[in-house]
Amino acid sequence: MSFPSFFNLFGAWLFLLLIPLVVFYFLKLKRPRLEIPSLALWQQVIQDRRVNSPFQKFKRNVLLLLQILLLLFLVLAVMQPFIQSADDRADMLPVLIDCSASMGALDGPNGQTRLEAAKDEVRELIDNLLPTQRLSLISFNSTARRLTDFTGNKRVLHDALDKIEVTPVPSKVTDALRMAQALALSVKIETIVVLTDGNIPAQVDFELPFNVNYQRLDVGGANIGITALNARRAEAGVWDVFVRVEGTSAKRMAAKAELIQDGKPVGSEQVVLDSGESQRLVFQVESERPVELEVRLKPVGFDSLESDNVAYLDLPSPRPLVTHCPPSLASYRHALNAHKELVLYPNDDGTGALSPDQSADLLIADSVTAGAPQATISVYIGVVPEDLKTLVGVELGLAEVVDWKRSEPLLQHVQLADVQIGDVPKFGEDIGAAQFEQLGYEIVAHGRLGPLIVKKRIGQQQFFYLLFHTDRSTLPYRIGFPILVANAIQIALQQAELSEVRAQPTGLLPKKKYKEESEYRITGPGGSSHSGTTNADGLLTGIPAPQVGRYKIAEGSKQIDSIGVSLLSADETNLASVEKIQFKELSVAAAGDKIDSDWPLWSYIAAAALCLLLLEWWYFQRRPGGVPA
Amino acid sequence: METTTNTKQFTSLFDNKVLSRIERMRLNPTRRLTNRSRGEHVSGKGGSSTDFVDYRNYVAGDDVRNVDWNIFSRLHKPYLKLFSHEEEMHVVLLVDASSSMMFEGKLDRARQLAAALGIMGLMNIERVSAYSCNHVGAEPTVLSPCTGRASMKRLFDFLENIEGGGNFPIEEAVDAVLKRHRGRGIIVLLSDFLTLGDLHKPLNLLFSSGLEIFALQILSPVELYPEVTGDLRFVDSESGDTLDISSAGELLGIYHEHREALAEELSLMCRQRAGRFLSINSADSLEETLFDLLMRRGWVV
Repeated sequence: MSFPSFFNLFGAWLFLLLIPLVVFYFLKLKRPRLEIPSLALWQQVIQDRRVNSPFQKFKRNVLLLLQILLLLFLVLAVMQPFIQSADDRADMLPVLIDCSASMGALDGPNGQTRLEAAKDEVRELIDNLLPTQRLSLISFNSTARRLTDFTGNKRVLHDALDKIEVTPVPSKVTDALRMAQALALSVKIETIVVLTDGNIPAQVDFELPFNVNYQRLDVGGANIGITALNARRAEAGVWDVFVRVEGTSAKRMAAKAELIQDGKPVGSEQVVLDSGESQRLVFQVESERPVELEVRLKPVGFDSLESDNVAYLDLPSPRPLVTHCPPSLASYRHALNAHKELVLYPNDDGTGALSPDQSADLLIADSVTAGAPQATISVYIGVVPEDLKTLVGVELGLAEVVDWKRSEPLLQHVQLADVQIGDVPKFGEDIGAAQFEQLGYEIVAHGRLGPLIVKKRIGQQQFFYLLFHTDRSTLPYRIGFPILVANAIQIALQQAELSEVRAQPTGLLPKKKYKEESEYRITGPGGSSHSGTTNADGLLTGIPAPQVGRYKIAEGSKQIDSIGVSLLSADETNLASVEKIQFKELSVAAAGDKIDSDWPLWSYIAAAALCLLLLEWWYFQRRPGGVPA
Repeated sequence: METTTNTKQFTSLFDNKVLSRIERMRLNPTRRLTNRSRGEHVSGKGGSSTDFVDYRNYVAGDDVRNVDWNIFSRLHKPYLKLFSHEEEMHVVLLVDASSSMMFEGKLDRARQLAAALGIMGLMNIERVSAYSCNHVGAEPTVLSPCTGRASMKRLFDFLENIEGGGNFPIEEAVDAVLKRHRGRGIIVLLSDFLTLGDLHKPLNLLFSSGLEIFALQILSPVELYPEVTGDLRFVDSESGDTLDISSAGELLGIYHEHREALAEELSLMCRQRAGRFLSINSADSLEETLFDLLMRRGWVV
């Protein structure tokens, strides 16, 4: 048992008030005289009471005792006693509250969400604040948001706490930790409290400058939800739609998945998941025009999380891949002609070229010319970019590929070993890969003396530079050559969303290309509204999409696009809870007990004083028993 | 023609209307305690009035003048004729005029009731005497026995002139009265009976003296329903003694128990001595007490 401490020990001086209280009581004790006809009855009464009441002496001074007791209560309340928690008391305490999607999980039918449970704990923490203690509330999901400065104002803290809502996005604790770290620069922070359901990454790349009190809430109930949704073009006008459904590992769950195309149900399937299993559903959709797909999951029985029961996917209208390759690159044109899903510009005789204002999905060229069309994916053969000419030079000679990045999409399944190359790209003096990286280039294939293939990404555009000309190599004669071209086509198809489309997760809307430097209004689910302006390239970026649903993009009053976003997080759906968070240097296990805050007692003592006052009033005002009405 | 009503009050104790009603009422004792002197109360003994009561056998020594000769002539046996004997009853009024009776009209009510009961005695040719007691050691103020309507004024004057105050306890007042009083009848005790003394002995003396006890306890509202709270110092109005009371409000229940127990004890003592007891509130009206309460209880008819 812990004895109470006193926050305001100087209040004990008020106990000296007992002296005047007692003195004044006895000075005041001169009883009012009341003449009555006879004492005969009253003497009998007194004798009777003395016989019947063993505490007569006590009762004689009951008023004094009540007054002393009342004063004691009041002085104790002023001294602000509190039961000290087992932990050291932190004066500055940042409280990090998880409000990611999994925090919206209910603990049972008609139960409370994890966020409400967290709020209850924080409310208790706020209510038990001592006068010198300050809290700072930080909510985090995929990003962090500081809700209050360090304050002891309970109303401000309660208001901020009430405003926290579940955001259906995956949780990342790093931002919140960095925010607490930034706070620690201005005030001394020894401990932070992290309130979460444990559905956070187990590994956090962060060096802890303070202690972490990891408060793991009970996980929600059983859940089933959609964790992935994508579509792949099967043939012209036909898409295969893939839906991955996962559930919590707690119990076997069932649901009905329904595919809705442009508002009309076009298919449904039953899903039964054993604990820890996932299931992939495949639907086929035929359409020659853009399609808005919605997959809705209707769980059988209780489902703790609702936000993962719907997912949206936007299928573009089918079109051929626009490819530009000059007639001079006959080998490439030959390889490109083998693919039916593309249209190749210009014609073999050089006519029918794309105009400069037309853009291509894939450009393969052996020179950078001013009149060449813009492309999303550009592959330059035997071209050294202007900004790399100071770093690398090409000499005649024999080069060979030493290593290449096999995970690079362009080079997947391409065997470059033993390819003989007639050009020798060579690093400049004291030049290395670091200088390339500074200019935004990534070396994806290395030769003995320098880079052979480099890659640069500018916005949505990707540029591949083969620093040697393939016509002066054995590559066109290798089996890897058509694969290389096919990879370039595949990258362009993906980039143009012509081969595969993935549903967009919550967080931010994907980059979209519209008119350059134009303003657009984005209206989200629930009526939330944002405005955004496209950049010089016509890209609209950085639009927040925290809620699951469709975001409508309008130019003026005309809606020009609609983008659906969905939770699509396996971690959030399976409500997995990590027991231990591994930071850079140490791991922090979930605390076994709830937040052990100091427990102020003054309000209870003040309430007891009030009760005592009422008791005293009742005691002296009540009608004694036996008195006839 | 203008008519004026000049109604002069016969006494200040009550108005003439009440007086006229009282004059038509009589005391109703349960025992026939009378004196030898003639009066209007029929005694249990044979008498010489003209009202025939009964016959009895002649025994030697009887006055032959009372033999019924008509019966003797028919039956040849002497029978004595008995006539009723009307004797005088003594009505003693004892008014407690000590300080305890000075609260909330208790003494006034005692005076009024004494006057009413005394008038009933006078109007029925009884001997009426009255005593008022004030101070211990001092002789009671006495209205010597008087009778007849002509004595009404004397009775009123005596009662009107009773002064309150003093510390004469009722039991000692009874002793003082019995030292002077002679004769059988009834004694009306008008007091609050709030005494620390023992009432058994005086009541026994009254009983053995041939006085039927009519005990009227007159209590004021402050005694019947005291409203006291907190810490108080009670001062006895007669002795000046003090008594400190803490949490007086808490004791009211016990107080009422004791007050009711005292009334019950007094009633029992009176009944055991063939007497009567009644506790009245001085705040109740005289008419209510006199014409309703006492009549219903059979004290007066």
